[in-house]
Amino acid sequence: MRVKVISIPVLDQQKALDFYTGKLGFVKKHDVPLTGDDRWLTVVSKEEPDGPELLLEPSPNHLEAARAYQEALFDAGIPYTQFNVDDVGAEHARLTRLGVEFSIEPTEMGTVKIAVFNDTCGNHIQLVEML
Amino acid sequence: MTFYLQEINRIRSTVYSNEAHLMAVIRTRRFINANFEKELSLEQLARAGFTSKFHLLRLFKRYYGQTPKQYLIHKRIVQSIACLKRGMTVTDTCFAVGFECPSSFSTLFKQKTGLSPAEFQKKQFLQSALAVL
Repeated sequence: MRVKVISIPVLDQQKALDFYTGKLGFVKKHDVPLTGDDRWLTVVSKEEPDGPELLLEPSPNHLEAARAYQEALFDAGIPYTQFNVDDVGAEHARLTRLGVEFSIEPTEMGTVKIAVFNDTCGNHIQLVEML
Repeated sequence: MTFYLQEINRIRSTVYSNEAHLMAVIRTRRFINANFEKELSLEQLARAGFTSKFHLLRLFKRYYGQTPKQYLIHKRIVQSIACLKRGMTVTDTCFAVGFECPSSFSTLFKQKTGLSPAEFQKKQFLQSALAVL
């Protein structure tokens, strides 16, 4: 058994693809048309092209419970998932220059430094640097 | 203030309030990261963290969820993966990342990744060949 795909719910797949590739620096891996405008759309880290794929999943548009869950997490400021980086400060500065909004600025939290940003697709995402 | 920020502040004040402990384990981890390819004893790590070795063992496990030795092995395995991907031989990789003998390196590598270093390298080679096709 292996971890291959991890899904993240997004309200607009194209907007999500633009954000995750254009701002965050992920690379598109699979883009398969499904029904309607839906796509099996995955991105991977440039640093780990053979690593787990992030599935940009349009579930909030099709299932009310998924939308309610996503909204509840967002309103509470809870990150949907997190990505590891080598330097949270540098990544925060780079993304801020690109117009990304942070709900939590770089903050030391014991043995990690974290920051949380809005992915513009309905989620907060946490960046983590191991100290 | 969001619920998440409140929780972060609460956890930070209850779990991570001891600055001296935090600095000891963070210093130790940084020392391992900078010296993983050398032979490292618990005594050396304790000196790097300015604490006693038994105290360091407890603290490191508490804050990082593994002992310094387990973290050192993890670090060496991660580095060895990078070396093998670059095409370095298994024996050269073994010594470059700080393991003392190829057999113990192979055993640990297989425990952590599910493949022996040679199998891992073969798989990498096959994937690159397929990517070219």
